[in-house]
Amino acid sequence: MYYEKKKEMIAMLLAGGQGSRLGILTNHVAKPAVPFGGKYRIIDFTISNCVNSGIDTIGVLTQYRPLELNAYIGNGQPWDLDRLFGGITILPPYMKANAGEWYKGTANAIYQNIEYIEMNHPTYVLILSGDHIYKMNYQMMLEYHIEKNADCTIAVLNVPLEEASRFGVMNADETLKIYEFEEKPLQPKSTLASMGVYIFNWEKLKSYLVADEADKKSENDFGKNILPNMLEAGENMYAYEYKGYWKDVGTVESLWEANMDLLNPEVPIELNDPPWKIYSRNATLPPQYIGNNAKLNNVTISEGCSIDGEIENSIIFPGVTIKEGAAIRNSILMPGVTVGNHSTIEYTIIAADTVIGSNVCMGACAMPVEPGRHPEISVIGQGITIADGTVIPPGAMIGESILQKEGE
Amino acid sequence: MNALGIVFSYSEHENLRELTKIRTLASVPFGGKYRIIDFLLSNYVNSGIHDISIITRNNFHSLTDHLGAGKEWDLTRKIGGLRILSPFSTPGISDHNGNYLGTIDALFKSMHSIKRSRADYVILTGSNIICSINYDDVLKRHIERNADITVVYTNPREGVVIPSDAALIRMDDKERVYELAYNKEDIIRQDTPMCLGMFVLRKSLLESLVADAIAYGRFDFYHDIIQRLCGNLNILGYEHKKIYFEISSVSGYMNENMKLLDENIRKQIFEKPVYTKVKDSVPAQYCIGSKVSNSIVSDGCKIEGTVINSILSRGVIIGKGAVVKNSIILQNTEIMRNVTLDNAILDKDVIVRENRQLVGHETYPVVIEKKSII
Repeated sequence: MYYEKKKEMIAMLLAGGQGSRLGILTNHVAKPAVPFGGKYRIIDFTISNCVNSGIDTIGVLTQYRPLELNAYIGNGQPWDLDRLFGGITILPPYMKANAGEWYKGTANAIYQNIEYIEMNHPTYVLILSGDHIYKMNYQMMLEYHIEKNADCTIAVLNVPLEEASRFGVMNADETLKIYEFEEKPLQPKSTLASMGVYIFNWEKLKSYLVADEADKKSENDFGKNILPNMLEAGENMYAYEYKGYWKDVGTVESLWEANMDLLNPEVPIELNDPPWKIYSRNATLPPQYIGNNAKLNNVTISEGCSIDGEIENSIIFPGVTIKEGAAIRNSILMPGVTVGNHSTIEYTIIAADTVIGSNVCMGACAMPVEPGRHPEISVIGQGITIADGTVIPPGAMIGESILQKEGE
Repeated sequence: MNALGIVFSYSEHENLRELTKIRTLASVPFGGKYRIIDFLLSNYVNSGIHDISIITRNNFHSLTDHLGAGKEWDLTRKIGGLRILSPFSTPGISDHNGNYLGTIDALFKSMHSIKRSRADYVILTGSNIICSINYDDVLKRHIERNADITVVYTNPREGVVIPSDAALIRMDDKERVYELAYNKEDIIRQDTPMCLGMFVLRKSLLESLVADAIAYGRFDFYHDIIQRLCGNLNILGYEHKKIYFEISSVSGYMNENMKLLDENIRKQIFEKPVYTKVKDSVPAQYCIGSKVSNSIVSDGCKIEGTVINSILSRGVIIGKGAVVKNSIILQNTEIMRNVTLDNAILDKDVIVRENRQLVGHETYPVVIEKKSII
């Protein structure tokens, strides 16, 4: 007796990028593992989307600083991905009989894991990247893919024309059949921007991956090689329009903005959504304690925090301590940060486990802010110490401890 | 650690009114997002004990619901793990309806499972005491001093009430127990060590003590084992010096919860991680106009009103203009606009509609039953 094991669709999640535009925030972790939204990491959104869409087999391709990401994902239990067959698998580059190499590009990363995909015998493969914030039902996209009898379906977002040149742009007819694909065009002809979410018929994709690997001139990239090649060969490619909230959090500015979006009731990203929960690995910490001197205005705070200062428009991650007299505005404090008495922090992202002394002035302290604009965001690195009385200007990026106030 | 943990999920002496009407003592919520059982299990797990049996009597539906397979406590194991021992009856042969004749009877009826464990020692606990204790230390001293039974006790601090039905012990200068008596009225005394309901002994000794007692028709662990045998067995006390909470009455439940607002006490109770069921709630949200001071707030809360000296479980909603003082509000309860609450305990899934006022007194808090609409 033998049971054939087969999945209709599996997901391959590209999580190998460094995210160098996030600066010191990705010194210790890969971009998908950067904390987001008060208790999550960026990758939680994509993984939770998969799980909520009924996808229970996910391969996570890692390359840059995978340690923390691996530990975070573990056996996948927080996302209900500890399964008998399927579940979540970390796929780092590995040695082969007489070769072995890093992932050269997005397409090459999938190519190197053909064996993993074949183990699950999928009909369809969903390609995702682990650095976007959005809630999307991939099952509906698959239904669309099947209905259109497509070989490849690309999720697209309708963006303002002036922004389209930052994306891969799909030029499609009225049935949304794609006839042209342009990667970051200077003069975009359409406003349908690729979200980096693709569904392929696996057998078809496999043949293109093999052909692409044989092409020595190829950059082994989906956007630059695989998609144009498929289009050229006349495959059936369709755009699937997604209409919800979507944000690429690749820069300090956009990471800050996406966090602030969570505090803005006007922005359509509601995390308190029981049928579509975003799952994450929970820190085992006691509930938060709010002290006698706390003043909280439009703030989210997580477990294990001890708050005795004033906070406005900010996101506070688990285990943060804010002492009496401290004032935090328009900032993001990642897990385990401590802020001393009478320090003022504005427009700043502070990475995990950093200790800020007393009377520190960080970011745009009490600077007048023009309506509709905000000062540059300061970033303070992970696990460092900022001495009492330090002044840090807006837009600064501090990766090393400051142990003494200047001039002392 | 080579020990089996046995938890009694119920207490024979509690009066928690509405709070235990629908649940057994061990699953009474405590300290915001926890249930009493979380503290008991975390003590075992943090001491390296991963083989735990929970003896249940009645009302244990909410307990099994909370524990599931024991994953969150790291107790889904091949060797050991979590076992819930529910009472059972065989029609015509034994028709007991979940009413054990006493703690010894409960152990006797669970012996089939206890005997199966490979552990050499057992560590028993009740559900009315919450504390952070390292069983490793207790067991080490138990072995070092060649004790037959170790009884964990405390010397009640100044001003602490010893509730009636607590077991008081007397010991010689080497902490050997020579007398045990039940307290019969609430008293404030400091010279009487009080039993915390935790015992360590060899599993083989427990098996024979239980078999013996049953043969003579004796059913009470304190009276028929500790008190009766303290002359023959080497029964030693182990002092627990840190904070503990005792839950047996509604006002006690209120007071003990409120003690968590003291930072020093929180540090003692949460010295090691306390595990609980994960709900994947969003972080707590403090809206524009909220005022919160000296309170414990759990994930998933949304606060638009005022909260003072209170403890909120997960998913509590406090509407605009509402004022919540000195109260405990359990999971997913919603307090609508302009409500006033003082000295109230609101169970899960309660809705308090606009402009209502509920005011109790420190010595007799208002308790609102689960799923009430007011």
